[in-house]
Amino acid sequence: MHSIIKISIFLSFLFGMELEIGSSMPKRKLVLNDVDGRSISLSDIKGKEGTLVIFSCNTCPWVLRWEDRYLDIAKRYIPNGVSMIAVNSNVARFQGDDSMEEMKKHAKKMNYNFIYAQDTDAELASAFGATKTPHVYLFDKSDKLVYRGSIDDNARDAKKVEEPFLENALDALLANKIIKKTTSKALGCSIKFN
Amino acid sequence: MKKIIFFLLPLFLFNSCGKIDLFPATSLDIINEIKNYKGEKVVLLNIWALWCVPCVEEFPMIVELGRKNKDLEVIFVSADFEDEFEQVKKFLIREGVEPYSFIKKQKDEAFIEGINPSWTGSLPFVVVFSKNSGSIVDSWEGKEPESRFEVAINIALNS
Repeated sequence: MHSIIKISIFLSFLFGMELEIGSSMPKRKLVLNDVDGRSISLSDIKGKEGTLVIFSCNTCPWVLRWEDRYLDIAKRYIPNGVSMIAVNSNVARFQGDDSMEEMKKHAKKMNYNFIYAQDTDAELASAFGATKTPHVYLFDKSDKLVYRGSIDDNARDAKKVEEPFLENALDALLANKIIKKTTSKALGCSIKFN
Repeated sequence: MKKIIFFLLPLFLFNSCGKIDLFPATSLDIINEIKNYKGEKVVLLNIWALWCVPCVEEFPMIVELGRKNKDLEVIFVSADFEDEFEQVKKFLIREGVEPYSFIKKQKDEAFIEGINPSWTGSLPFVVVFSKNSGSIVDSWEGKEPESRFEVAINIALNS
C-alpha cells in the first residue's frame, strides 16, 4: 500500500513539472496517430515559424468552451507558418469518450481545421508536464518553448476576453518581438493518464 | 393535531436538512478561512467543479473523511461559474455538506496563483494543511485513492 502511495506522490510530482520556457521540444519524434489515419510526429508537422501544441480532448467542458477559439487561431495563424496540433492524452478514456472513433466524430462535428491526434501512452503529455485540457504549448521555429498556459482569460465568452494570452504570444512570435507574458494559468480538466 | 404534525414533519425535516449557505469567494477569502483553523484542526482544501467527473466521483469519500475525523475541517470550493450557483447548492445539499461552502468569484489565473502557485489549474485540486503550524503538508492535482488522503491527514495531525 505504501509503495502505491509513494508512486502516486512521485507521479504527481513528475506531472507537476511543466516544461520550462526556453526548453527544447521533447519527444519530437514520438509517433502520434491522427484522425485522418496518419502516423505523425511533432517533427513531421513542424511549422516554418513555430509549432502550437494544445493538449485537448472530446468532452472536457473547458475544452468545449474554448474550442471556438481553436478554430479562429488555426484560421489566422496556420497560413502564417505556425503549425497546430491538438493532442488527446486521455489514455483512461481511449476505450470510451476519447476513442479514435469519437475523436474523428468530434473533429468532424466541430469542423477542426488543424491536426487532431492521439498520444497513445500519454508519453507526450508526460514529457511536456501537461496536466489538463486545454493546456497550450507554443514553440518557435527553433523548437524552443516560448509560451505555455491557457488560450485567454475567459473560457466562457470569447467576446469578453480581456487578455488573449496565446494570440498575443503568436503575434509577438511572428513579429519577432519579445513575448511579454510567457506563461498563464486557467482551470481545466485533468488529463486522464491511467 | 397529530395528523397535521404527521403531514408537516417530513416537510420540516426536508427543509431543515436542505440548507446551505454558499459564499462567493476569492483566493484570499479562502486562505483567511483556512487560517481560522490553525492550532485547532487539520484543514483539507478541495477545489472541485460539477463538470469535473473525477471531482464528483471522489466527493462523497472526502465528505465522509470530514465526518469521521473530528480533528479535520474539510473546505470545499466550487470552481463552477457563478451562474451555476443553484446547481452547486443542490449538489452540496445532496452530498450532505453543511452549514456553508464556497464558490470561486475571481478570474482563473489570480485564483490559482492565490490558492497555491504550484497548482497548474487542473481539477480536482487538494491541499492539506497541518493542525499546529498551518503549513502545507501535501497537495495534489487529480483524483487520488482514500489512502493518499489518510496519509496526508495523519502527517498533518502531528505537525
